[in-house]
Amino acid sequence: MSNKDLAHHITHYRNIFIYLLIGTALTVAASYLEFNVKDSIAGAVFVGLTIATIKGYLVAANFMHLNSEKKMIYWILMLTVFFLVLLLSIPLLWDINNMSNY
Amino acid sequence: MSDSHHEESFWSKYIFSTDHKVIGIQYGITALLFLFFGFSLMMVMRWQLAYPDTAVPIVGGLVKWLADLNGFASNGNLPADLYNVFGAMHGTIMIFLGVVPLVVGAFGNYIVPLQIGAPDMAFPKLNMASYWVYFVGGVVMLVSFFLPGGAANSGWTSYPPLSDIATTGQTYWLIGMVFLITSSLLGSMNIIVTIVQLRAEGMTWMRLPFFVWSQFVTSFLLVLAFPPLEAAGIFQLMDRVFGTSFFLPSGLVIGGEVLGVSGGGSPLLWQHLFWFLAHPEVYVLILPGMGVVAEVIANNTRKPIWGYKSLVYSAAFLGFMSFLVWAHHMFLTGMGQGMSNFFQTTTMIISVPSVIILTCFMLSLWGGSIRFTTPMLFALGWIPMFGIGGLTGLPLGLSTPDIHLHDTYYVIGHFHYVVAPGTIFAIFAGIYYWFPKITGKMLNESLGKIHFYFSFIFMNGIFWPMLIQGLAGVSRRLSDGGASYAHAQEVLQWNEIMSYSAWLLAVAQIPFIINLVRTMMAERAAEPDPNPWSSTTVEWTDTTSPPMGHGNFEKAPVVHRGPYEYSVPGESTDFTPQTQS
Amino acid sequence: MEIPYNVELREDTGLYNSKLGIWLFLASEIMLFGGLFSAYILLRTGAPVWPPIGEHGSIIHLLKDTIPHATFNTVILILSSVTMVMAWVSLKQKDLNKYKLYLGTTIVCAIIFLVVKYFEYSHKIHEGFVPAHDTYMALYFTLTGLHGLHIIGGIIVLAYLWGPGISMWNSEPERFTNRIEVAGLYWHFVDLVWIFLFPILYLLN
Repeated sequence: MSNKDLAHHITHYRNIFIYLLIGTALTVAASYLEFNVKDSIAGAVFVGLTIATIKGYLVAANFMHLNSEKKMIYWILMLTVFFLVLLLSIPLLWDINNMSNY
Repeated sequence: MSDSHHEESFWSKYIFSTDHKVIGIQYGITALLFLFFGFSLMMVMRWQLAYPDTAVPIVGGLVKWLADLNGFASNGNLPADLYNVFGAMHGTIMIFLGVVPLVVGAFGNYIVPLQIGAPDMAFPKLNMASYWVYFVGGVVMLVSFFLPGGAANSGWTSYPPLSDIATTGQTYWLIGMVFLITSSLLGSMNIIVTIVQLRAEGMTWMRLPFFVWSQFVTSFLLVLAFPPLEAAGIFQLMDRVFGTSFFLPSGLVIGGEVLGVSGGGSPLLWQHLFWFLAHPEVYVLILPGMGVVAEVIANNTRKPIWGYKSLVYSAAFLGFMSFLVWAHHMFLTGMGQGMSNFFQTTTMIISVPSVIILTCFMLSLWGGSIRFTTPMLFALGWIPMFGIGGLTGLPLGLSTPDIHLHDTYYVIGHFHYVVAPGTIFAIFAGIYYWFPKITGKMLNESLGKIHFYFSFIFMNGIFWPMLIQGLAGVSRRLSDGGASYAHAQEVLQWNEIMSYSAWLLAVAQIPFIINLVRTMMAERAAEPDPNPWSSTTVEWTDTTSPPMGHGNFEKAPVVHRGPYEYSVPGESTDFTPQTQS
Repeated sequence: MEIPYNVELREDTGLYNSKLGIWLFLASEIMLFGGLFSAYILLRTGAPVWPPIGEHGSIIHLLKDTIPHATFNTVILILSSVTMVMAWVSLKQKDLNKYKLYLGTTIVCAIIFLVVKYFEYSHKIHEGFVPAHDTYMALYFTLTGLHGLHIIGGIIVLAYLWGPGISMWNSEPERFTNRIEVAGLYWHFVDLVWIFLFPILYLLN
């Protein structure tokens, strides 16, 4: 990588750092606001997780160079994320569809 | 590294070797010993099942000694508490210390780099680490037998709340599993990187031997499915050691008293996380075996495997679907109609790729010049045995018949058909097939045939009656084999037959052990035939027997054709090596 | 025969071996933390009140008090991610001293994170909020504890690469740079997990 490329990268990392700090501040601030609709905290959860996802994306895409990675890595990650979503949705789907108390 | 050959110490050459062939053999020997140990546990259990509460012959003294050590009363018989220990550890040892290390750690490690034309695995030091972590996990599991209260006794499935409050052995089981899972993760990462990155020139994806494909898919299953079990294991350790209530519901009553924990947990949480792994795990158990069978069938029919592409796509689809069926182990937990429908459907769908694979193997026999060598006998025996295993899975995968069959001997019969005369036959096929490559000596064919025929008979003698008992409603994990239940009385007589079959199966292994020992002790020829089976794949055609250390190949192989070019019209021989231009 | 593609990229995949290796490892880690988060979802949706009320009441007030600490920790960890990637950039620029400075800062940030964690833990335990107290505390300690173990593991690896491991820079500089990139990927992942843990455990109650 040429020195010019590197200098560009360095500025880029600094900017991402700033966005992440802003994101963190937003996350904390948002938690103090009232998003509660009908006594459910679903609104707050949605906002909090959305900001977290954006921050996570910034780290993954920029620091982990995922936005310029090779196809093989993308495939592996997509497969993993599919199974991750499956793993996370079990409790939700189970709950709606359960007949017992457990 | 290959230029200046320094003298290696005994330790770095045989004990802490980073050579995949040495590590493969280490895994192989250790795993075979564990398989034998797991089998021995079952042989003692089968005495109790055939002749409940009578002293076990020959090893009764040992059983009593162990029972005393664990704090159980025994007069040489296998008491119920120790029966539970043996049962839980039989399953655990066979799966995690026996079969998987053998098919992945031994066969995978030894054969994959050779078949793809690589000098070693991608990460040799990591490979060595993964063996020793497995070893430590095994030691932890073995040590737990000597604790007060004995080793784990809540089934290999370790369901809470029982496992949460079980004796100390369960904590050792959890710690042992953490080591074994770690070893498995390290090993499977290594295999994937090796297959992706170290294929020789010309070894395109669709020229890979099906064995390599089976290892590739298996490794993905291990990488992605094991971690949730690790998470569950950590939760159970927290419950047992730090008194948390991850799996303990509120108000749980044990022995007439409410348990003094915070509650709020869920036993079902364990089941979800456990089966999320354990279902893909069963495909880990069978896929490498399918790979071996493919190699042996192609080689011994002298024609290409029928439907190579179908096999590859089926294996990949099977691996993918295996993540979507786990709750068919939980049909009786009170799930709603929607969940039940979903998991039944996915379970029925997953039978399709298995059938495709089996069909391809059967079609491969058509028009072949079949050589009934010992490996081929085991491969041929595998076909109907896996077929029975698969077919008996169907009523279990549908929630309605499962109401009757869940937790009965039918389940035990089903899965043993797939793993015992299934995978273990594939393992034997692989051992007889690749033994000359590893050692430069052929195993004796006559002893091999005796080993096969008697094993085949007695495997069926053990597991077929289980299907009968299960249909009659005999529950699994009963230390008296159902003797105290009215509905079991009519089928009790099968217990004795199954037990004798088990002991005779053990006797049938003696020719195999004799064969191994005699052949190992025999002198190797000055220049062993590197390809005695006249095979087409790279491990046979481009290396010596055994392969040279430090890099396997004199020079890197270059691949020009597919893996199963047997009986190519116009060629002078009935096999055309992959590396022949 | 040497093992190829430790430094040079394989043409058809465009990868060097350890990069593929570390992403596979991270895939397994995603599933590990996925299992942990899945448990959180299941136990939380099944609970009538969250955080649950136990022997010492609810953790909610104590938790709100520690939001500043957790926020500080979040910032520290993000900073450590930046310094980590800068350590890799420094090696690309062939500047070993800058590399040591940035990597050293990463390690220091990680240690600060752990120290703050220690104070958080002891404060809660002192008040009787131990893992056994209720399912929230069980999840809190297990999730942050496992994350903390990953931080410790990371510190050990980074310390090795800062100290004795640095000798590879003299013999195989590109391979060493790759090692830093790979270690960095692990480190960013640990940061990423915390980015999700923080709101889930501290803020969404």
